[in-house]
Amino acid sequence: MSKPSLNLPRIVLHDLWRHKWILLLALLVLGHAVAVVYTSHVSRKLTTQWDQLLQERDRLDIEWRNLLLEEQSQTEHSRITRIASKELNMSRPLPSEEVVVKVP
Amino acid sequence: MIRQAKTKRVSKPQKPQLIHWRLYVVVGFVFALFCSLVGRAAYIQIIEPDKLRHESDMRTLRTTSREVQRGLITDRNGDMLAVSVPVRAVWADPKQVNDNNGFADMRRWQALADVLHEPIEDVLDRVRSNPTKRFTYLKRQVTPAVADYITQLKLPGVFLKSESRRYYPGGEITAQLIGITNIDDVGIEGVENAYNSWLTGTPSKQKVRKSRDGHVVERLDIVQEGESPNDLVLSIDHRIQQLAYRELKRTTEMNQATSGSIVVLDIHTGEVLAMVNTPSYNPNARDNLQTFRMRNRAMTDTFEPGSTIKPFVVAAALEAGTVKSTDIIPTSPGWMRLGGRQVRDPNNYGDMSLARILAKSSNVGISKLALSIPVQQLLGTYQSMGLGSFSGINLTGESAGVIQDRHRWSDFERATLSFGYGLTATTLQLARMYATLGNGGTLYPVSILKLKKPPEGERVISQNVANDVLQMMVGVTEKGGTGTLAHIDGYPVAGKSGTSRKAIAGGYGDDYVALFAGVAPVNNPKLAIVVVVNEPKGDLYYGGSVAGPAFAKVMSGSLQMLNVEPISDKEQVQLAGIAAGRTE
Repeated sequence: MSKPSLNLPRIVLHDLWRHKWILLLALLVLGHAVAVVYTSHVSRKLTTQWDQLLQERDRLDIEWRNLLLEEQSQTEHSRITRIASKELNMSRPLPSEEVVVKVP
Repeated sequence: MIRQAKTKRVSKPQKPQLIHWRLYVVVGFVFALFCSLVGRAAYIQIIEPDKLRHESDMRTLRTTSREVQRGLITDRNGDMLAVSVPVRAVWADPKQVNDNNGFADMRRWQALADVLHEPIEDVLDRVRSNPTKRFTYLKRQVTPAVADYITQLKLPGVFLKSESRRYYPGGEITAQLIGITNIDDVGIEGVENAYNSWLTGTPSKQKVRKSRDGHVVERLDIVQEGESPNDLVLSIDHRIQQLAYRELKRTTEMNQATSGSIVVLDIHTGEVLAMVNTPSYNPNARDNLQTFRMRNRAMTDTFEPGSTIKPFVVAAALEAGTVKSTDIIPTSPGWMRLGGRQVRDPNNYGDMSLARILAKSSNVGISKLALSIPVQQLLGTYQSMGLGSFSGINLTGESAGVIQDRHRWSDFERATLSFGYGLTATTLQLARMYATLGNGGTLYPVSILKLKKPPEGERVISQNVANDVLQMMVGVTEKGGTGTLAHIDGYPVAGKSGTSRKAIAGGYGDDYVALFAGVAPVNNPKLAIVVVVNEPKGDLYYGGSVAGPAFAKVMSGSLQMLNVEPISDKEQVQLAGIAAGRTE
């Protein structure tokens, strides 16, 4: 009891310093564990996002197919011919009436 | 006082004593607790982890499948000819419906029947008739909107299933060529049938782990590797196809014909730009399909080609060298006797040039040419240009036609071969023959798929002969020819009309096949078109007057669409002069 050098914090610190490598490794292990948890969380989030994007792609594909059909029915040649001739008073020139413009 | 008492107590010598058994009990207890925890953990983690894993998997593991749609079919410019759209099938599990007292709320069933456009008795009957059944379709191919509505009805035991529906934007215009798929998405006709495995994909299945709220959090192994479907680009040009169909339909109706076909070929590659038939059907409304409308007549139906074969007789004779392009053939008195049978022309045309024989379609003249060469050589020329063999289009149901192979031919039979009787051909084969003539004598396999580069052709007649014959054929559509209605201002046509009687049991009947085949523009040939009108019932039955106008419309329209430069008036006069010089 009489020894004044017994300063507990110092001893602890000293002790820790002596095992500094082990301590470092322990910290690394801890950090690594946390990192694993975090990474798997991020990966799950990304997987979810990926899956949602795939679903979005499927949805857009369906929409695209329906729009294709609509486009096809709107641009049907007979319909355009009808509109051009009836509403816009256009007509196709006969081959003999065609004027050929040559791009030099 | 208090202090005193305190000091008193402290001062009492009371040495703390360790009660050993207590310590042991506590330590032992804590240790046992710890051990049991470790033990339990070890048990769960190491010794028997499977049960809990299984429990977890049951709650989180799911197999998802990615549905694939049948591949698209487009024309050469990307116009859609067949598109698959996902739809749903409504099905019921009758056992589940009955077990769960599914008929409690009849209003919902009424709503279901209404949205399916079916009488409620029918719907109920299907579910009630056999209560132990586990599966019955209520309706197939309902739209996503209807499917949503049905989901919201929340009927017990009624489910939806993904499937896909095929739409054909081209409708009846491309009906026979594209064909159709059956309700299970399997191609049963036309291109859909021939390229079924190419167009079909298989869905991929994958195991995934899902979180409680239904999100996929982990992708595990693939259960089934899917195969993505492929798209198909046809050689068809939808604009030309449309034009050809419109003209053919008009022609068929005007002449009250039984059927008709038009084939448009690109002569430099053998690609089919259009292939249309009447009567047609709407592949999007299949309630009353009639099989005779579904046949792609342009390649399944054969007929005797009649006079349209004549240019090839001239080509065979020129190739054999028995005549020269400048020769004059006497046809007086307009008929000739061959082994007791007669070959005759409508008039006595006198001495004719080869061009005039074609322009007037003289049977006597062409018979003389045919008799000047061995029959095997004539048949050899026909065969080398694709008669009697498959065209290479590779579609189901193609017919090769008949070309007889025998040793003994009477002179009359040899003569009939020269004006297109005694052999049969399809519209497609005839178009291929004209394409061969048009491109200078190279036979290409016919392709229904868009080609990246022209295929390997096979030279079957020499360039000079092909060009000579082409020049001779210009007279057909000029004044005095049999096909003046097929004349096009601006695009000189090398064509030939044909009219053949249809054979019936024991001879030839009263029905005709009216044909017009040709290549244009002669100065730089691009397209070969054959128009076939089967059994015209009107006043007209000659190929030139029935099929000729349709030919002219389709040819001029197609060349305009393909941006082919029309020749000027001056050039036209020159060309007409050449043709006239040859004709007279």
